[in-house]
Amino acid sequence: MATIEDFSGYAPTWCPGCGDWGIGVAIKSALVQLGLDPSSVMAIFGIGCSGNMNDFLNAYGLHALHGRGLPNAIGAKLANHALPVIAIVGDGDCYGEGGNHLLHACRGNHDLTVIVHDNGVYGLTTGQVSPTAQKGFKSKSTPSGIIEKPINPLTLALASGATFVAQGFAGDINFTIPLIKKAIEHRGFSLVNILQPCVTFNHVNTYQYYLQRVYKLNGDYRADSLHVAMPAALQMNEEKFPLGVIYQVQRPTYVDQVAQLKGTTLLNKKRFEDLAAISAEFI
Amino acid sequence: MTKFSWKIGGEAGFGIMTTGLVFSKIASRLGYQIFDYVEYPSLIRGGHNTYEVVVGEEEVSALQVSVDYLVCLNSDTYRFHCSRLHKNSIVIYDQEDFQITDFANTVAVPFKKILHEQQGQLVMKNTIAVGASLALLGSDLAILNELIEKQFRRKGEAIVEFNKKFARMGHHYVTANYQAKIKKKLVNRKGEVQMVMTGNDAFSYAAAGADCRLFAAYPMTPSSSVLTSLAAWQEKTGMVVRHAEDEISVINTVLGASFAGVRAACATSGGGFALMVESLSFAGVAELPVVVFLSSRPGPATGMPTWTEQSDLLFAVHAGHGEFPKIVLAPGDIGEMIGLTAKAFNLADIYQTPVIVMSDMFLSESHKTISKQQVDNFFRAFQIERGKTISAWDGGQYLRYKLTDDGISERVIPGAKGVYYQANSYEHIEDGHTTEDAVARKQQVDKRNKKMTTYLKNHFANPKIYGDLNSAKVVFVSWGSTKGVLLTAQELLRSGYSRETALIHFTSLFPLNKEKVRVLFKKNRRYVLVENNSQAQFGKLLLMETGVEIKEKLLKYDGRPFWPEEIVNYVK
Repeated sequence: MATIEDFSGYAPTWCPGCGDWGIGVAIKSALVQLGLDPSSVMAIFGIGCSGNMNDFLNAYGLHALHGRGLPNAIGAKLANHALPVIAIVGDGDCYGEGGNHLLHACRGNHDLTVIVHDNGVYGLTTGQVSPTAQKGFKSKSTPSGIIEKPINPLTLALASGATFVAQGFAGDINFTIPLIKKAIEHRGFSLVNILQPCVTFNHVNTYQYYLQRVYKLNGDYRADSLHVAMPAALQMNEEKFPLGVIYQVQRPTYVDQVAQLKGTTLLNKKRFEDLAAISAEFI
Repeated sequence: MTKFSWKIGGEAGFGIMTTGLVFSKIASRLGYQIFDYVEYPSLIRGGHNTYEVVVGEEEVSALQVSVDYLVCLNSDTYRFHCSRLHKNSIVIYDQEDFQITDFANTVAVPFKKILHEQQGQLVMKNTIAVGASLALLGSDLAILNELIEKQFRRKGEAIVEFNKKFARMGHHYVTANYQAKIKKKLVNRKGEVQMVMTGNDAFSYAAAGADCRLFAAYPMTPSSSVLTSLAAWQEKTGMVVRHAEDEISVINTVLGASFAGVRAACATSGGGFALMVESLSFAGVAELPVVVFLSSRPGPATGMPTWTEQSDLLFAVHAGHGEFPKIVLAPGDIGEMIGLTAKAFNLADIYQTPVIVMSDMFLSESHKTISKQQVDNFFRAFQIERGKTISAWDGGQYLRYKLTDDGISERVIPGAKGVYYQANSYEHIEDGHTTEDAVARKQQVDKRNKKMTTYLKNHFANPKIYGDLNSAKVVFVSWGSTKGVLLTAQELLRSGYSRETALIHFTSLFPLNKEKVRVLFKKNRRYVLVENNSQAQFGKLLLMETGVEIKEKLLKYDGRPFWPEEIVNYVK
């Protein structure tokens, strides 16, 4: 069985105290606990501090363009749905540059696990505002404070048809590991939004900030109801952050509904050679 | 020897396209060869649609200006096209629709009366018109009836018979009233079986035949029928077809699939291609195989969506930031489209880089006949070549981007046990990890560039020469869909003016092999560059890549393809 060491690539270059350290450990721990090894996972990385995990995590990796990891992940899954596909992306990446792809990945119920490092800023470009920053957040690109309201990734995913929506906190790794495991085990599109303090560029959404505002969903919480999940997710708009599985239902995945993928992966399919089957329409 | 043109026109939305294709297929099934062309506005209803077919006993590669049979389903058809009639042309129309006073050789068929009496729908006017046309051409209705059966079989015998009745009535009306105008131009020649295909059909067919397993697209004229054909066939071919949310998602879906090890392609036109450009650069550095079908229409921006232009060549050649290898191929007809498309998939796998197959509306949407035997033979002989793609690694350190003499490294398909790597959009060292090291950077750039040297040595195809380069007084230089027009013009110049010409037709457009190309160009000979664009884009590319400059240019950029007669008039 693979170990944390097997999944560990280069030593991370994240800032000391960055939430990404915790997320990196949580991802590797989840993969190990699921009995996976680096040869049996496809990991698609976005661009940003989060995407830099490409060098720190051993797997069949694809370090994508900024914002475009989700369609890469969809293509990889369609080609070989026998392998788990994990997209490790950032808030600017997934909710800004690639926002459109998120909507369509959700509605397709593509069997992907999307792990978003949500820190409210663009760290790699030295601290401009991201789409999840609270209204009024002052940054280099919004010196008078951002005018827009923040994106609510949870309601966005719920409304778009995601079948698994969860939220974790980089400051509570033991809580986040099982969330990631459940997301990978879930058949269908899963979003894990992880609240991630950026210690260098975000002095508002700090560990302390989150510790005062996060709460864990309790045992009575009904994750299979959109009517329950939506209000829980809307709490984000009040700067209250629910942690846990917000929503999980079963719906056929995209691949489940593609007739030509019944019983085989696209990769392992026999080559099509019967051109006579399509030539008649040209005569 | 029989050669004639037939043109039908009517209001957009009333089945002109279907009817034209039926006519092309009838001629093809009777053993004739055809070339056809559609004109339609970017509308679903309203506006004027036309479909013209040139029918011949030998290969037909272009249109002709003169229309021998003009079928007018409304007065616009006559008004827009009467200037193309000659004294022996025949105009088919309905006197109840409009009057023709300035042209004598007409055949008046009471479309409206027949429709009214038989309670037919408006689209059945087309069926009457095809029946009437076949009567004038001395043909029976046997093949039209077969095609009607094929089209309506699912709707039941009554519907089949109902449609056949309108064909019969059109045919009978002409036979009974215009016996003197009937000429035996369409007889059953019992030739070999032919396929009637557009450039888009040929790309789609070849993609299926070349083991393309995933295709993604966002509809964009004139490439859309590639998406709809491949989607319609997917349960037969096993291909997965994704209609994605935008062209950025399209190409990235394809790149994801390519990373995971399957052959994958996408299709678009200029605007969609513009959205794909950043990802093309990603494919270049991550060394992911991808085939992009790019069918041009007149730009810039939304331009003229349903018309033709060859104005995206330099855009394709230069598409993508940074420097990376790329191969651009341009078929000139459906036969070349089949061959080059299949080759494109092999080249993408061999060189692990983007291969662009160029087309334009004229090639993408015009039908042409091709021998089925020829197509079958091609695919029987076609070998899938995946180059250094491997599905297992037998130990030892694996270096995805290993420095090699030919610039190409072994590519393991994800899932192979005991190994892993990352395909990286950042510059990387040999094992795939990100780097900013000066030495490693230069090594990887050189490695990628080497692939082009290898390609020029192993796979660059010399341009095809038609005619005799040594004796020709005029040498045309061209690429893409102008091929058929120029071949036809060459024939007209030979037969009508005793002028011997030659044509240098390029299909491997980028990169160009300087040594192999330069020898084709001699001093003191008249070279004429013929392109469907305003800036002589291939001429610029030729100069840039080989130092050959062609000063004399014949350029057309009004959205219409060249007429062979235009070429003839220019050089005669």
